[in-house]
Amino acid sequence: MNIKKRMKDGIVIFDIEGELKRSDIIDVTLHQLVKDELDAGNKYILLNFDKVPFIDSFGVGEILASYISTHNLGGKLKLARISKKLFLIFQVTMLTKVLDIFDEEESALASFLKG
Amino acid sequence: MAKRLAAFLSNLARLRRGESRLGLLLFGYFFSITAPFTIVKSIRDASYLEDLGARSLPYAYATALLIGGVVALHARLQARLPRRALLAGTLGFYLLTALGFELLFENLDFDWLSLAYWFWANTFIVVLTTQFWILVNDLFNPREAKRLIGFFGSGGILGGIAGGVLTGLLSRTSETSQRLLFLVAAFLVVGFGFVRALFAQIRARESAASSPSGGREAATPAGRNVGFGDCFRSVRRSDYLKLLGAAVLVAGIVSTFIDWQSKAIIAESGQTNLTAFFGFFNAGLQGFAFLFQLVLTSRFIERFGIGPSFMIYPLLLLLGFGGIAAAPASLAGAMLLKGGDKALSYSIQQSSRELLYIPVPPEAKYRAKIFIDMFLNRMAKVGGAVVLFVILGLLAPAGGAMTGIIPVVSAVAAAFIAVWLVLGVRISRAYVREVKDNLAQKWERGDAQIARALDPEAARLVVDALESRRESPELFALHLYALAREDKLTPEIASLLSVSDFGAGRTPGLPFLDGEEMPWIPAFEKPAGGLDLDKEIREILALGDYQALMSGYADRVLEGGEGADETAKMELAKSIGFMDSSSPLVERLGDLLRDPSPRVFHYAAESAGALGLKAFVPLLLNGLGDPRTAGDAGAALGRFGTAISGTLADVLLDAAETPAVRSAAALLLGRTGSPEGVKVLWAALEAGGEAAGDDVLDALDDLRTRPSSPALPEAAVLGRIEAWLDRAAGAVSASGLLPVFKLLGLAYDHEDIFRAYQNLVLGTKDSTAYALELLDQIVAPGIKEKLFRRIERLGECGED
Repeated sequence: MNIKKRMKDGIVIFDIEGELKRSDIIDVTLHQLVKDELDAGNKYILLNFDKVPFIDSFGVGEILASYISTHNLGGKLKLARISKKLFLIFQVTMLTKVLDIFDEEESALASFLKG
Repeated sequence: MAKRLAAFLSNLARLRRGESRLGLLLFGYFFSITAPFTIVKSIRDASYLEDLGARSLPYAYATALLIGGVVALHARLQARLPRRALLAGTLGFYLLTALGFELLFENLDFDWLSLAYWFWANTFIVVLTTQFWILVNDLFNPREAKRLIGFFGSGGILGGIAGGVLTGLLSRTSETSQRLLFLVAAFLVVGFGFVRALFAQIRARESAASSPSGGREAATPAGRNVGFGDCFRSVRRSDYLKLLGAAVLVAGIVSTFIDWQSKAIIAESGQTNLTAFFGFFNAGLQGFAFLFQLVLTSRFIERFGIGPSFMIYPLLLLLGFGGIAAAPASLAGAMLLKGGDKALSYSIQQSSRELLYIPVPPEAKYRAKIFIDMFLNRMAKVGGAVVLFVILGLLAPAGGAMTGIIPVVSAVAAAFIAVWLVLGVRISRAYVREVKDNLAQKWERGDAQIARALDPEAARLVVDALESRRESPELFALHLYALAREDKLTPEIASLLSVSDFGAGRTPGLPFLDGEEMPWIPAFEKPAGGLDLDKEIREILALGDYQALMSGYADRVLEGGEGADETAKMELAKSIGFMDSSSPLVERLGDLLRDPSPRVFHYAAESAGALGLKAFVPLLLNGLGDPRTAGDAGAALGRFGTAISGTLADVLLDAAETPAVRSAAALLLGRTGSPEGVKVLWAALEAGGEAAGDDVLDALDDLRTRPSSPALPEAAVLGRIEAWLDRAAGAVSASGLLPVFKLLGLAYDHEDIFRAYQNLVLGTKDSTAYALELLDQIVAPGIKEKLFRRIERLGECGED
């Protein structure tokens, strides 16, 4: 798994490639990367799942931990471009009740500005 | 020179940039209405005593009964007219009526004219002063008002001094004493000028502002028909306003007693020129009030808070009543009591009372001030008059010296003051509640949102179950069983997971899964009657033969024998979690926890947590050091609860442990919430916590979000805050102050502290002010100055 960071309109975007699984973590986890951004004062974070075919429970835990850390500081964490399979899983597990999930990156970015 | 003077005055008056013009105009306006009132009042007291005497004073007090009509009329006008028109119209009315009374006094020889004049004089100060304070309340938020109220009030006191001195000087000759009401009219003309300039400044300020002031409007919203009944109901609906009203009523009654006592003594003292006497006397007491107001009032309120400031006045009066009861004929005593009453009333009492209105919503505030300040304040005179009538009727029915009754009045006054003090305590507490109500929660904690919306554990189980479909049918079946056992196999999840026929890579009804290759999964049929196989499975797992057979299989898996692979270990680890803790197979869990595969560790940790056997705790602790397994290890350890608080404490305090492990131990200790754990966390924080870092504070903070969590010792927490503030150099952003607020949340109500923090970070100027006001009320004085200095510098960081 590979996570790349970029910035757009003051929003941190993490482009995740590969499966978000515990066995694929090499040095730093997604949650740690998010925490680093929060410590740097960046409170708007978008996770791009375009190239993530699957996640395991570790991946779910990372997303939830990142969400909690961000929202406890008054920030926002959103997801974009997740696969239909993942979306259905998120629906069944009620994660869609909490996570803001967008089809496209542009609509996700625009939603940060709306508040 | 002018700039230096302006700077000096700004510093003395505590005006900030942008406030000078408006502040000075308000100061000037208040001066221009209190100066004529002092003249009016001096004439009122002198003419009444000369014409009707001290014994008739209760009739004068009773004219307050008619104030209700004035209040009702004012309420109607306030609803219909823009504020500028109301103020200017009121000034015009009193200007004309002052001239009218001048003519009547010159041409009419009628003793009871003094009674009519008394009534007019009382409406003069009630109406004009109430209008002034409504304007101040609307223009400034609590922090600004607290800082500036001393300055504005000084304008009124200075006006009183000027009016008093002028009265005293001009009353020396009978010719000039008859022209005093012309002087009143002149001051009111000056008042017109200030009103005009004030509203020009307000308009300029509002057009420059980026957002609406939220109720701080220049004009009374027209069209609202606010009758006296509306005003009464507004007060009746609010416990806070009822307390304020009761306090004002009691204070007014006590003030009536003081007024009667002092006038009775003055009347019997042999003074010849009463107008001059009252003129100089009023100027003198205003002088004291001015000094107190300008120099001490704001500082006293900021240092001690609104509550003590509200109660210092009755406490001092109690002393005064004691003194005058001991020496009832003393003119000096009477002047001291009356002077002290008015000086404190005009300064600290008026200021703290106005501040108590600030957290009240604007609409309710208008109505409450009309009812309380204009009506109830005057009705207090009636109440005092009734009590005096009774006392005079019982103790001096046929005349005689009034001074003999003074000790009795003092005793009655003391009883009322006792009630006043009790009300003061209740108002102080209610004020904090009112301020809190103005602080909306800006955002909800993420963990609270998640806990409310979903079951995170079920979500993980479902995702694991889905993944396990790719591993083996046994592992998948174990997941289905786990979901069923936890009663988390909802119809939606079951329909996602259960299939009637997998076939070769096809999953009917779930087209999005097409393309996954699962040729080795056999056909699976959902048993009739559902998956309620728990009883049967438990019995099988408990069979001795089963345990013996599976032990051999476990040995092969762990020794790397035939069929031993990661999937097999995962299956074994998962299945052990369903067994009884006394099962021989449970021992194999240790080996599985030592396995280098994070996937195997995941299932082994899950089972170790389910079994709750402390023997596995060290192995789980090892898992905390690897980011791939830390989450699973933490989740498993969390299930042990307070039983492992001691172990976690040892880990936290062990300098040889890695920071990641110590941090995880800190967070787990916070989750257990045990008293031992809290003690250890606090000790770690006190010791500097450099290895555990922010996680120790986060753990304590997390603990405080729970309802029954006790607060930590205030002194210790404040010490840490002070140390933090001393270390942090330069301006800090609101987010940068988060550790301070987390520390504050350890000693004070967590929700209050974080609501204040949220409003500081995301709030408007007003909500920031309310946040500061709340902190001002609840945080110990020792830390406030340093903390508030940092908070008030937040604008320098340009963040948030």
